[in-house]
Amino acid sequence: MRTGVYFCNCGTNISDRIDFNRLREELAKLPGVAYVKPVGYLCSEDGKQFLETDIGRERPERVVIAACSPREYERAFKQVLERAGMNPYFLQMTNIREQVAWVTPDVEQATWKACAQIRGAAARARLHQPLHKTELDVCRDVVVIGAGPAGLKCALALAEAGRKVVLVEKSPVLGGLPVRYEDLFPNMECGPCLLEPVLGEAMHGTHSANIEILTMAEVTGLKGYCGNFQATLRETPRGVDAEQCMGCGECIPPCPVSVPNEFNFGLDTRHAMALPFAGALPNLPFLDAQACLRGKGEDCTLCRDACPVEDAVRFDQGPRVLERFAGAIVVAAGFSLYDCRRLPELGYGTVPGVYTSLEFERILASSGPTGGELRRPDGAAPRSVAIVHCAGSLDERHRPYCSGICCDYAFKFNHLIEKKLPGTEVHHLYRELGAPGKEEFSLCQQARHNPHARFVRYAPGGVRVTESEGGPAVEYEDSSGDRGRVRADMVVLCPAVTGAADGGKLSRLLGAPLDRFGFFEELHGRMDSAQSRIKGIYLAGACQAPMDIQRAVSQGMSAAGYVLSALADGRKLEIEPITAWVDGARCSGCRTCGEVCPYQAIDYPPEGREASVNALLCHGCGTCVAACPCGAIRGNHFTDEQILAEIQAVLA
Amino acid sequence: MIQTQTHPDAPSGAAAFEPKIVGFLCNWCSYAGADKAGAAQMSYPPNIRIVRVMCSGRVDAQFILQAYRDGADGVLILACHAGDCHYREGNYRATGRHRMLLRLLAQFGIEEDRCRFDYVSAGEAEKFVRVVSETVEAVRALGPLSRPTAPENNRCPEGCGG
Repeated sequence: MRTGVYFCNCGTNISDRIDFNRLREELAKLPGVAYVKPVGYLCSEDGKQFLETDIGRERPERVVIAACSPREYERAFKQVLERAGMNPYFLQMTNIREQVAWVTPDVEQATWKACAQIRGAAARARLHQPLHKTELDVCRDVVVIGAGPAGLKCALALAEAGRKVVLVEKSPVLGGLPVRYEDLFPNMECGPCLLEPVLGEAMHGTHSANIEILTMAEVTGLKGYCGNFQATLRETPRGVDAEQCMGCGECIPPCPVSVPNEFNFGLDTRHAMALPFAGALPNLPFLDAQACLRGKGEDCTLCRDACPVEDAVRFDQGPRVLERFAGAIVVAAGFSLYDCRRLPELGYGTVPGVYTSLEFERILASSGPTGGELRRPDGAAPRSVAIVHCAGSLDERHRPYCSGICCDYAFKFNHLIEKKLPGTEVHHLYRELGAPGKEEFSLCQQARHNPHARFVRYAPGGVRVTESEGGPAVEYEDSSGDRGRVRADMVVLCPAVTGAADGGKLSRLLGAPLDRFGFFEELHGRMDSAQSRIKGIYLAGACQAPMDIQRAVSQGMSAAGYVLSALADGRKLEIEPITAWVDGARCSGCRTCGEVCPYQAIDYPPEGREASVNALLCHGCGTCVAACPCGAIRGNHFTDEQILAEIQAVLA
Repeated sequence: MIQTQTHPDAPSGAAAFEPKIVGFLCNWCSYAGADKAGAAQMSYPPNIRIVRVMCSGRVDAQFILQAYRDGADGVLILACHAGDCHYREGNYRATGRHRMLLRLLAQFGIEEDRCRFDYVSAGEAEKFVRVVSETVEAVRALGPLSRPTAPENNRCPEGCGG
């Protein structure tokens, strides 16, 4: 085997610190090393041209480049090999600049160390196998799960780029949680007004033909992998024909059923035939089959009788199961709030007048249970409101992180309370305060300057809400240990932001893991937060981490960008060959590999006992290769033989 | 090939023991940390031979045993910090294997200091230099790894041929 060694002088960066002649003398003794050539700057255009021509002339079977870190130019040199007609994986680089020349002042020592590293590279290169990238046809359609701000913007961006999108929303209404907020921080924009143009564009816009919107629908199965997913979707019957219904709402009042209204977080009731709230889109009522008397064996037809359109109310619809192919999945499943019943000292669910922030949003909303009047749904307007920040956040026993959005909306509440009922006392009980951002400070300052607002920093676990005569009482211990007590007609808790409701179920279904807090785990916290751990599954919005609308929408756009570059038009999906593969004859079927694989890249086909690696999902880490007790898994380009040969040679 | 009694890195004429260390560095964090030490031109003992792997999770116990057999006096496995693994959890697998291997090595009389596992991020040039220097010094203090000189001594006393 002819191995050609190229030694980059790197100007004088390497050649000043390593004695080339001495090195060449040593390396020439190695079996298979046909030549060792110095080059001035191998990474320069001249250098690469020389390399290409020289490989053409010398026809080496393997190439070793001793130069800078392979992290810098390995890709470029691989391309040179390819241009020279060699398999690019016949290259081995070894780093004699950052890891030898620059860290070893003594020329003789540096020379020997460089010799050892090059010996290792040459020994492993002899065992390199020709590897080839493979290409795969892909489906360019996308399934987006969740129609909140993140999912909507993502779906719209993809549709505008000409992609077919299936937008799957589990509730009967689009817009996620913010569509239920009357006003948004930082500038008191109205939630529905912010979202309506986006919703309008998605439903009736120029590119809406590219978006298939499914409400009351969920993903129930996912097969396949990046580029070729097959999703099973289940749509619960709405009981109302979307084509026929004109949204007049005549069917709603006659309904005799009354159940807690989840769209107002149970603060009031709704009928079995209901519209989530005034202005909800799509403007279609839905029939809650679980609550409807027909489901209990009664032949009630009051809603249908009231409907002015024939066949708009449908009792005969069954669930629809749909199969959709997609190249990518975007998870935009939103967030939920920490269950305040796990903080019994705060009185939620036991002391009347204690609300979560989402409930309070609805009390403030004109489409909510009090029609936007600031009062308890079961009583009068408050003279005093206590806002408990950091409920469950910044608390090791619950959630150690700061939820990031609570202070901003608490200051918004402060503003709205003062606006709706001037003079109302507002007690802010907090662990930490923060309002970063170029606009957010203004509501914060307003709260600070509100003469009726009081700020108390409480000690960890230092708030207790009890029932007292005429409303809740808040006892607290502040950060300096002083105790106090305030009477409040309403207590608003700002619970920790947690992962999507049903996140665990969705995670198992998609194979995309959750982090330890229940958020969908990103590929990298800073660089790739819109990518999940699974290739082809992307993340958008607060299902990945606590975030405000701005960040959620940006992440939705970011996910759309990832999809468009991963599944670019007119291009096949390229698969790197540095992956693992299973030698079926040696596999005992113990499934150790599946347990250690972080990417669910290992399958166990039902017909055989042997494992198989899905090269598309494999990232090439080699963890399974090291874990396999039978030596049945091989890691391309990092085989046991190659690494062992390198170890032996660097020590020779 | 250099054939001397002392370590090849030893300056000519010196008879002092120079340990040979094989360092397995993960591509994303520790190898980049070593590169950073280079870019900052921080010098450290030349006794380390670096073997790049994509992930510390790829480091098989047999690589470490083979390194001792081939003449290494010490082995260093460097990984991404907890939670930073490019492949999510390969570093946890590597720590687990390392802990297990230490128990095995102890039974063969191979000291813990000859097999060090540590975390070095891409930014931790100083830590990389410190860990390498400490390992070289620790192994230097232990002296050369004693290994059977003749293959006969390696034979199984039961006569199984292994």
